[in-house]
Order: sequence, then C-alpha cells, then structure tokens
Amino acid sequence: MSAIESVRDRYRTFDDGRYAPLVKGVALFGLLAALPTLIEIDVAGMELAATLSLRMLILTVIYAYTAQAWNIMSGYTGQFSFGHAAFFGVGAYATQALVVDFAVNPWIGMLVGGVLAAVYGLVIGALSFRFNLQGHYFALATLAFAELLRFVVTNMSELHGANGYFKPFPRDYGAEYGLAAFQFQSDLPYYYLIVGFLLVVTLVSWVIKNSWVGLYFFAIREDERAAASVGVPSFRYKLIGVAVSAFFTALGGAYWSMYFNTIRPDTVFALFKNVELLLPAVVGGPGTLLGPIVGSFIVTPVSEIARTTFSDINGLDRIIYGAFLVAIVIYSPRGVVSWPSQARALWNRVRGDEEVSE
Amino acid sequence: MGHLVTSVAPLPLQGGGLGRFIDPFAQFLTDITNLEPVLLQLLAFGLLLGGVYALTALGLTMIFGVMDVINFAHGIFLVVGMYSVWLVSETAGISPFLGIPIAAAVLFALGVVVHILTVEPIIEAPQQNQLIATLGVLFIIQSAIEILFTPDPQQVELSLGSVQVGDVFIPLGQFYALVIALGTMLAVRAFLNRTDLGRKIRGTADNRDGARYVGINVRRINYLTFGIGAALAGVAGGSIALFQRFDPFTGETYLINAFVIVILGGLGSFPGAFVGGLIVGLIQVFGGYYLPGTTAQVLIFLLFIGTLLVKPEGLFGGAEA
Repeated sequence: MSAIESVRDRYRTFDDGRYAPLVKGVALFGLLAALPTLIEIDVAGMELAATLSLRMLILTVIYAYTAQAWNIMSGYTGQFSFGHAAFFGVGAYATQALVVDFAVNPWIGMLVGGVLAAVYGLVIGALSFRFNLQGHYFALATLAFAELLRFVVTNMSELHGANGYFKPFPRDYGAEYGLAAFQFQSDLPYYYLIVGFLLVVTLVSWVIKNSWVGLYFFAIREDERAAASVGVPSFRYKLIGVAVSAFFTALGGAYWSMYFNTIRPDTVFALFKNVELLLPAVVGGPGTLLGPIVGSFIVTPVSEIARTTFSDINGLDRIIYGAFLVAIVIYSPRGVVSWPSQARALWNRVRGDEEVSE
Repeated sequence: MGHLVTSVAPLPLQGGGLGRFIDPFAQFLTDITNLEPVLLQLLAFGLLLGGVYALTALGLTMIFGVMDVINFAHGIFLVVGMYSVWLVSETAGISPFLGIPIAAAVLFALGVVVHILTVEPIIEAPQQNQLIATLGVLFIIQSAIEILFTPDPQQVELSLGSVQVGDVFIPLGQFYALVIALGTMLAVRAFLNRTDLGRKIRGTADNRDGARYVGINVRRINYLTFGIGAALAGVAGGSIALFQRFDPFTGETYLINAFVIVILGGLGSFPGAFVGGLIVGLIQVFGGYYLPGTTAQVLIFLLFIGTLLVKPEGLFGGAEA
C-alpha cells in the first residue's frame, strides 16, 4: 500500500508541476508517432498489423482530429452542433474544386476551404444565436444547415453534382508527389501528416483552454445568463468558438479529400458524417483535451474491426456498432476519460467501507 | 416519391446561369395564368403525399413534445411498419389493410422495449446522449432488417389502380393512405383530448414536474408515449407500403422530412403536423415538377431554417399536446 501511495504522491507532484502538460503531450504524440512501428511487432507470433492496419490508424487519427475540432465549439462552449459535416464538406469541396478545375495547390485550397467554412459557421452561429436557439432546436438547425449544403452541392453542375470529384494526379497541378503536393505514394507519410494536424489542433485547444477565452467558453457552457450578467460577451465568444471549430473541421475535410480518391455529396456531406465527426468526443469525454483522441481510438477501430471480421454477413458489423453506441452513452455518459476518477472514487468508497467495518 | 412525378411528362432541363433559378418560377406563373390542367394534378399529388408525410411526423412530434427526446429511430420504425405489412400479406395472405393494425401492435411493443432498454436509463442525461442512443437503435434495427430480408427493395402485392376525376387521376393506394392518415390523426386527437390517459399525457407534456406532483405516474406515461409514437410510425409505414417500394434505407428521407414537419407545425401540435405535412408534400411535388434535380429539397430546408429562426415554436406551437 505504501508503495502505491508514494507513487501516487509523486505523480501528483509531477502533475502540479510546470512542465507536466509538455511531458504528457510529448508522451502522447510520441506514442502516436511510434504506432505504425509498434503494430508491426510480432506478439507471440501474431502481428497486430493483421487487425490494425495503417489505413485504419489514419482513419482513427482523422476522426480524433475532427472530434478535437468539434470539441472546441460544442465541448467547450456547450453549443451542441449536429451539423459539422457542413464544414467538413466545404473543406473537401473547396480543395478539390480548386485543384481540379483551376490547378490550385491543395494547401491553398485547404486554407480557402477553412476560411469559407469559418464564414459559413459565422452565418449559422449569428443567425442561431441571434434568434436564441437552444438545445434540440440548435442541434436541428445545425443539421438543417448541413443537409442544405448537401442538396445544394448535389444540384450544382458547377461542382459536378452528385458525381463529385476524382482526386487528380500531382502533375495535373504542376507538382511532384510529396508534402508540397499534399499527395504521397504510400500511407506512412499520410499518417504522419494527420498526426501533425492533430498536434496543431490539440495545441490550439490547449491554448484556448488555458486562456481567458477558455474561461469565457466554460462560463457560457455552465450558465450563459450568469456569465452574461458578469460581463462575458457571450454572443461574440460563441461565434469565436464556431468559427475556430469550423475552420479546423474544414482542414480535416481537405485532408480527407487528398487521402481518399473521390468525394461526393453523399460521402462528405452525408447525414451520418455529422455523427462520425463528433462521436469520438462524446465517447471519450466532451470538453476534455484527451477525450476526442481516446474516444477515436475506441470508436473507429471497433467499427472497422467489426466490418472486416463479420464481412460475410452484410450488416452484422453495424448491429455491433449500434449496440456499442447505446451501451457507451448509457454506461459512460461523461466519457471514457472519466473512468479513472470514477474508479478512484469507487476504490475510496470500498476502502472507506472497510475502515468503517474494522 | 420520385415516381409520383415522373408519371407526368418531365420538363426539359433549363440552361445554366441565373435563368435556371428564374425560369421555373416564370414557367409556374405562366401555367397558373393559363390554368394548365397539370396544376390540378400536381395539387392532388401534393395533398396525397402531404397527408402521408403528416402521418409520419405524428409519432415523432408526440415523443418530442411529451418526453423532449429527439427520436432518430423513428425513421426505422417506419420501415419496420412497412416490412410488417409486407410480411403478413406475403406469408399469411392477410390483406395489407389488415396488416396495418398488426404493424401498429408490433411497433407499440418494439417501442416500449426500445424505450426501456435505451431511452429510460438516460432520460435525465444530456440530450445528445439520447440522440446517439436512438441512432444506435437505428443502426441495429436497420441492419437486422437487411440481414433478415436482404437490402433489395420489396413491394406489397396490391394493384389498386387509380380513378379519374375530371382531368385529375388519383392513385388509389395513396388515396387510402391519406384516408388512414386522416383517420389516425382524428383518433389520436380524440384519445388525447377526451380520455383520462390522454389528459395525463398532455399534462406531462406541459410540465413534467407538475404532472408528478399531482400524482401522474410519469414513468408509465413515458412508456405509453414512446409506444404510441412507435405505433403511429407503424401505421404510417404500413400506409406507405400500400403504394411505394421500400428497402431498409427508405426511412432516412422520411425521417428528415418528418423533423422538418415537426418544427414547421410546432412541437407536439397535431394540426401543425398536418399543415406542415401538406406544405412539405406540396413543395416536393411542385418543386419536383418545375425545378431541376432535387432542388425542391433545398427549398424545404430553407423553409425549415427560416421557421427555426423566426418562429421556433412553429405555426401552431404552444397550445396542443
């Protein structure tokens, strides 16, 4: 017991220390960077890579990234968005439209997409907040704005309608395979690129969280009227949250469009995309920094492994996935990252009971 | 829904530019001034479709209004209704019309089970959790149907034909669906307004805590509401099966439009759902005829967003349960 306690005490001193966030961040992203190598190590004759492919890791980190971006708006300011596919799709479409039709470098297209998405987010936010939509009504409004875009794009021949875009070769826009072209000939560089994206959005989240902006966000989430009464300009700060979140979500869409071969309105603006983008954050723990990342490493592999394992019965994977969703919101409404503290509380209670009985 | 419109001669696609937004409306106005007979036909189609849409929204608006839960599984409840009617008419040889009450009973039971397993444990939790839980139910049931009956479209063997009234011809399958929709709406309204249980449900919708204080068993009301909401989806799905082919994914478009109707008509309002259904049905039929592609759906979403912003309580919000 004393050994455990001393370790715990030492961890607490470390946790209060100045460099703790840095050390934790380095450890986390070091682990992420090492994952492609780790999954290829043989464990008792079984390669993890047999079930955890690099492609799946990329998908996992993409959704960790988008969930982290969603979290900035919905986790921190408490405005639950059910329409982030709008921003995701805008990023994907801006990138592809510019690179295919105008041979503009995808990095520039990505930034254009980010700005467009932020503007769209500001429009959605300004209208919804001005008219004071809350709860279900706000969620439905964001969903409507996303679905609206899906049908607009489907009916625009300028954006290739329902057929969407097919990713061009780098030479089509005067570039070579590599970072500058946003295209690689193998999956590994793609993986490190999305880990880099995740690092950036996590840093931005951390900075927001630890600044007065974050304090304003949390104040709005906990009690908007009280926050407003002590002078928090809630309208403006909710808009900041939406715009930042939309911008980063669009970058995720741009990455998506440069990793996969095609985008269509039915994939990037899909009804279900709205759910996929936010699910890791809800599962991991909304409003936390680690939640979206941990959540994605639970949600995405479960759905992918179910798909590959039960491929002979079409649909069985979604039954498992659905049951998993139900179970996770019922048994862990505050997210997976709350498990350690809950376990500690349980442990304390058990120990407390023992002391009483003695 | 598409086949409704294709039975009328389709309009040639307009050219690019601004004209494609203006031309259809100009065309519409000329047709009105010329009193084209096609307008009456479109009106009939719109009203028929709108009535069925209203019915698909009833269960959703009831659950939303009484329990404050957005039920994403509602779309798949509709599909279960369709398959129930199809199954009893295929295997037992029972008339699809008699299949509709059976679908209602099946869905009532399914609704209560789904409620006990997924919604009740988290009725006090953040709203997004209920949304995700009902979404999980959607996946489970949808895939189960896919595994049991294949993803191929199914059709109820029923050739009702159509009757011609003047220049307008009315497909009987849809006409019966509309009659069922109206009948169900009146019956549920009578139940809510005239029976003791109905009053308890309305009281719970008005004020959950208040209902508890005056001795209403809110838990039981929740079971009942979710069950009735699902049963209404069964009736709606069964009616749709009378005139349309369906597959496990048919529910999605109906679900989205049902949300639009619920907001348009006002949360928990039955007359609102009826009017909202008619509006959406008319936009879809007229838009499908005059506008290219699925542009009509864009109009529906613009209307939806406009309503949410300007009058979130809906056209008939507030008074009814």
